[in-house]
Amino acid sequence: MKNLVVTLLLALLVVLTAVSVRRMVAGNATSTGSPALVAIGADPVPPLLPPPPPKPSN
Amino acid sequence: MSNNLISYLLQYAGILLEACLVIYVARSPRRGQLAGVSLYLSCLLGTALGRGFALGTYGWRSPQYSYVYWTTDFLLVISAFLLVCHFFRRACLSQDKLWGFVRLLLCFSFVLVAGISGVSFVSHYGGLSLPYVVEFSQDLYFTCLVLNTLLYLMLQQIRSIDDQLGLLVCGVGIQFAGPTATMALYHLTTGQRFSAALTSYMIPMCTVGMLVVWAYALVYVSDRDTKVTPRRNPVLAEVTAD
Repeated sequence: MKNLVVTLLLALLVVLTAVSVRRMVAGNATSTGSPALVAIGADPVPPLLPPPPPKPSN
Repeated sequence: MSNNLISYLLQYAGILLEACLVIYVARSPRRGQLAGVSLYLSCLLGTALGRGFALGTYGWRSPQYSYVYWTTDFLLVISAFLLVCHFFRRACLSQDKLWGFVRLLLCFSFVLVAGISGVSFVSHYGGLSLPYVVEFSQDLYFTCLVLNTLLYLMLQQIRSIDDQLGLLVCGVGIQFAGPTATMALYHLTTGQRFSAALTSYMIPMCTVGMLVVWAYALVYVSDRDTKVTPRRNPVLAEVTAD
């Protein structure tokens, strides 16, 4: 049980560190007003982001 | 024109290196030990071919290429996470208790990333919104970065003499840390032209850099079993104790 809690806390620390690093280095908006994104692969990064999902209708 | 030339050079160099490494690993007698590497390289190659087709058919500025790019990026980040898990397993080959702890940590991390990405997506819904897949893959990317750093530190702590694993982990570090560092530079220089141009080239350059390091690790560095010194890290010993 103790191991489980320690593991969960460590996992939380890892994920929160990752999210914080992302917010610090890539969360700011670019000159086009879109957030900066990182990716994997040797292919050219597209200038367009995926379109946002449709807003829910009331 | 020169920008396009650099982009195409990086793209074709990446495809060439990926194809060569996939063939080399498939013909290697140690392909069983390199299953994670083989899977990741196959995903990279398949993705590169799919993206190349979309790029040639629809063009760089098309929404179709954007869709293909970010959808395949999700698959690549998932396979990168599995690759990091495979490296952790290889590092813990002779330490079953440590592997039990690490396995649980990896499972919890994946579930937490999915949850946090979901919360973040819902809170931005209708405002600055991105599809959940992109949000999740971005968070998982940075989690892989942190986990890979932890793995490197762990390899130093347990004094692993598996040189090939060390180089493979360093290659993944280039892949993850390079674009992150460039993003930080972009942020610090408040989006100047040089850093903006560097940002667009850094992701392909880091992927090619990782492939070069992997090629050296796979071809020239002999694979040895992971051996650890009897001295154990007190923190790890306490955590993995019954």
